[in-house]
Amino acid sequence: MTSNTLSFRRRSPFMRKALPYFMVGPAVIYLLGITLWPGAFALYRSFYTGKFKWDYAGFDNYTTLLADKHFWEAVWNTLLLGSITLAIEFVIALLLAVLVYRSPWVKSWRILFMLPMLFMPSAVGYLWKLLFNDGRVMADLLARLGLVDGGVDWMAYTLNARFVLVLVDVWEWTPFLFIILVAGLQGQDKEIEEAARLDGASFAQMFWNISLPLLRPIIAIALVLRGIDLLNNMSAVNIITQGSPAGATETLSYFIYRTAFRSFDHGYASAASVLLLIATIILAQVLVRKFFKSGTES
Amino acid sequence: MSKRIEGPRWGWIVLTAWGLFAILPIIYFASIALRPRNEIIAPVPIYFPTLTTETWTKIWAEWPIGLYFYNSIVAISGSVFICLVLGVPAAYALARYKFKGNADIGNYILSTKMMAPAAVVVPMFFLFGKLKLIDSVWALMLMYAAMNLSIVVWIVRSYMIDIHPEIEDAARTDGASDLRILWEIIIPMCLPGIITAAVIAAIFAMNEYLFTLIIASKNAYPLSVALANFSGGSDGIIYNAIALVGFLAFFPALLLVILIQNHLSRGLTMGAVKG
Repeated sequence: MTSNTLSFRRRSPFMRKALPYFMVGPAVIYLLGITLWPGAFALYRSFYTGKFKWDYAGFDNYTTLLADKHFWEAVWNTLLLGSITLAIEFVIALLLAVLVYRSPWVKSWRILFMLPMLFMPSAVGYLWKLLFNDGRVMADLLARLGLVDGGVDWMAYTLNARFVLVLVDVWEWTPFLFIILVAGLQGQDKEIEEAARLDGASFAQMFWNISLPLLRPIIAIALVLRGIDLLNNMSAVNIITQGSPAGATETLSYFIYRTAFRSFDHGYASAASVLLLIATIILAQVLVRKFFKSGTES
Repeated sequence: MSKRIEGPRWGWIVLTAWGLFAILPIIYFASIALRPRNEIIAPVPIYFPTLTTETWTKIWAEWPIGLYFYNSIVAISGSVFICLVLGVPAAYALARYKFKGNADIGNYILSTKMMAPAAVVVPMFFLFGKLKLIDSVWALMLMYAAMNLSIVVWIVRSYMIDIHPEIEDAARTDGASDLRILWEIIIPMCLPGIITAAVIAAIFAMNEYLFTLIIASKNAYPLSVALANFSGGSDGIIYNAIALVGFLAFFPALLLVILIQNHLSRGLTMGAVKG
């Protein structure tokens, strides 16, 4: 009986055509629930003001937002902190990856370097809040090295506070890029390296002329994935700086969170959400098509 | 001779320096977890504290740690389960069937990973409010699943593509249905990929912060956000409790990652980088 039903299914042309849609359908519907529906809701909500009672406001939220200094500051901070952090993480990760990828100890190095990544970001936030602010450890170490006298106020100056956020992210997430780059380098043909070595190429020449060009597509994917996460950085901001001093470390994610859940201005936060959503949809269209391969062939 | 391929001689200095930078804060954090409260914040930081297990006793006595663990485990394992149930068939369809829209659907699924969580946090708050799921572990589970589904689909798909189609053709000639082939042949063969996807989804769910912050407010606190609770009025932030709980979450993550270490890069890049 069972085998009859199954072979019937197998032969029915409708089932053959419909089966893949039944298989992807539930996943797609689930995902539409967290993309299409919230997008539509945010758009709708963005035309209303009011904290608990909704009042229709037309485009007021948008015009206020586009004239809001804090909003543009948050956009700028997100891009600035994100790109600086990404650049530093990439250079360090690439250097480390090149140094270990043919080492017999590569697995041990990888586990060691990976440890910071395995702490919850909230725990990492508190760890560095303690090291910089409350426990004054960093200032103490700098003083012992004779670099500063007495205390350092890490949150009072734009440069200091931004430095803290960059350092925390570099500490925690450089291994993410490192892991991917090591795998990329290990995947390269050993024989090319041997041949270049026999031709007398130095380690640096080999890297610049052979490894790096081959690694380019993998570098692109690694940077895209880390870059996306950096744009969404919010836990460290919320725990360590809360945007201080005067909004100099406020990222766009934190701006939306603060507006919606500290000031309870949901309409205004929704307007910012809609703009962010449009930006990420455009970005995703470009990145997904350019760097990832879909379809049934690998 | 083989030295040159391993890199320059100064390499180990750089590697050791970075290794120290990575591990010293962790060691200090461990010492925080194991020191008494009055040695955490001192006029001059104390690098060699008195070791004590009082934090362990304290976290169990003063906070519902058991509940936080329970919430984390339920929300994370439930979300991984949802991801696999929805994601594995989807991955198979994308990997194997040539149907209209295959590439577009695959791209759409992946593009949800690129979406900024902050862009949907306000609507999701209202949605869970309407569903009476604010401060519910179910909301966390649904949200974590939604965030990780794209990753699971793409990782598993990449492993399925690598399986030789002739194996399925043989089974099909023997009269096996598509679903039976998926269940009895494909899933066992790409089990490493499925485990990798599950581990990565679990770790990402454990790390999630923004949605957890707005959904959980008391009863549903998982570990990631419960940390913020370890502050008691005049006591300020109770760092030794935070550090200890941070480590309690760290060790399972470490074990899981060691389990999949050879698949890690492939998992983190959603199948794009093999090895």
